[in-house]
Amino acid sequence: MPYTELDHTADVLVRVTAGSLEELFEESARAMFETMYGENTALTEEQDVTVSADTKDELLCAFLSEFLYLSEVDGMVFGNVTVTLHENICSATVRGTPFIREKHAGGTEIKGVSYSGLTIREVNNHVEVDILFDV
Amino acid sequence: MLKNIRQISDVEWELPIGSVPGMHVPGRFFLSEELFATLENGALTQLANIATLPGIVKYALAMPDIHWGYGFPIGGVGAFTVDEGIISPGGVGFDINCGVRLLTTPLTTADLGKKKDLIQALFNTVPTGVGTRAEKTVSQHDLDGIMEQGAGWVVEDGRGLPGDLDRCEDFGCMKEASIENVSEKARKRGLPQCGTLGSGNHFLEIQRVDTVYDETAAKAFGLAPDQICVMIHCGSRGLGHQVCTDHLRTLESATKRYQISLPDRQLTCAPITSPEGEAYFGAMAAAANYAWANRQIITHMTREIISGMFGVAYEEMPLVYDVTHNVAKREEHVTDGVRQELVVHRKGATRAFGPDTPGLPPGLNTIGQPVLIPGSMGTPSYVLKGTAGAMEKTFGSTCHGAGRVLSRSTAKKEGNGAKIRANLAKQGIYVKATSNMIIAEEAPEAYKSSSAVVDVVHRAGIAEKVARIRPVGVIKG
Repeated sequence: MPYTELDHTADVLVRVTAGSLEELFEESARAMFETMYGENTALTEEQDVTVSADTKDELLCAFLSEFLYLSEVDGMVFGNVTVTLHENICSATVRGTPFIREKHAGGTEIKGVSYSGLTIREVNNHVEVDILFDV
Repeated sequence: MLKNIRQISDVEWELPIGSVPGMHVPGRFFLSEELFATLENGALTQLANIATLPGIVKYALAMPDIHWGYGFPIGGVGAFTVDEGIISPGGVGFDINCGVRLLTTPLTTADLGKKKDLIQALFNTVPTGVGTRAEKTVSQHDLDGIMEQGAGWVVEDGRGLPGDLDRCEDFGCMKEASIENVSEKARKRGLPQCGTLGSGNHFLEIQRVDTVYDETAAKAFGLAPDQICVMIHCGSRGLGHQVCTDHLRTLESATKRYQISLPDRQLTCAPITSPEGEAYFGAMAAAANYAWANRQIITHMTREIISGMFGVAYEEMPLVYDVTHNVAKREEHVTDGVRQELVVHRKGATRAFGPDTPGLPPGLNTIGQPVLIPGSMGTPSYVLKGTAGAMEKTFGSTCHGAGRVLSRSTAKKEGNGAKIRANLAKQGIYVKATSNMIIAEEAPEAYKSSSAVVDVVHRAGIAEKVARIRPVGVIKG
């Protein structure tokens, strides 16, 4: 399911909707990756990531923040991720391609994932969350 | 929210206690009739939320560039007592010590024939844009020095002038830095990024002094009509971002443990004197020092390029000042006749100390602190001076910039980067950016008018205009 970008003057605010919590995590990551670099279908590398937190909301925030860290220190442009959730542990495999200055330096830098309004909620048969990226 | 407000004076307004539940003090904000048109309801709610935090003194404040952020609004200021107050990363932001500095040159517009070559050389030399790294990755030992000594470390390394530190807020270093509270992750991000501009609204601009409003202050600051200057706007890069992220997590548990109830999770906080509060403050100070070192390295690169291209001596390019607009500081202020130490959070707000305030640069004691307000791309920036009015009304604070009116996605949809660049070129402003998309996002139309914002602080007496400077060339990432 697609995410949508909501109006926010200073930063980037996305609403993510999914059929399951795991899918919500995957879509949220995709929303973040596309905000940074646009759609990336060149997925030449993958790595495993594990994150834990006390609540599901904090887990989502920690999960997304981890990719901000990894994309910078590993010099990677991520495209998508597959997620397994078990209680408050998230195990994921993220796919991407190495950062190339000529191609990727015009992207959008996300400084952080805000806790503001980051509350996972059930709407009809779906789960939904609004995420604010500080850009 | 708007129907609750009452007018205090010409450009000063109050949000009374009770505007949101749990306010300890009122909110005060500075705004003109013109700027009311771009005020978001959410921004006023965020202002009111600051007033609910423990230990807040006098009132929660917002400057005329107020807009909806996360936690504090952008343009938000809150001062807290040390004994009962809190410290919150939501009152500082992810980009700790995002700030701006201005250096002067002996060149005038007439000397700047090779403007495009200069911009290109700067663009080629100063790493700009997301994911870019410095030419040299610093060692862990050097990073310790940078986080402990700030701009001073870079000057000691031979990349600056002795006078640079005098012309820097806090003389380029917060002594409260505790590097042990900066995580391995933050260090890893910081090692390859010291001396990089970053992206978004960060920039390096070649400017000329267009108007002088206050001749005495301009002379004291080192500014003259038609003078070519360089403005550098950037922050603490990935190191600062990670410090904020890391401590938000620790403080989230601390907020629960200290039973602080919050209207917004991004106001996650802890008592200033708690271990968690002190750990954040120490790490924040280390990140602030990193940002000052960052701007000092970029200053050095700029001086070398200008020196090589125009035959100007390195020493002929002194700093006017360097200000931070995302930080928490321990400062002494007088409230209701009582002098006390407070922790002043400025999130998208600038310190504006008035005359005779400790901490001013040598020689500026009778003038006040230089205040730098960058315009958005293609619009004027301003140099102001701090005032006694700021000390009285806003804990020595003023605005920080223009503030957006269009979201990035709207700006990208409505604007064409190439056309905007061409329009700016017609006005004599040469823009070099990593992509046309960045130019569209940062278009002048996407921001409030810096002139309108500066006009309000001048009318409010919380900073006074000294000079207006216009861009002639920009590099953006």
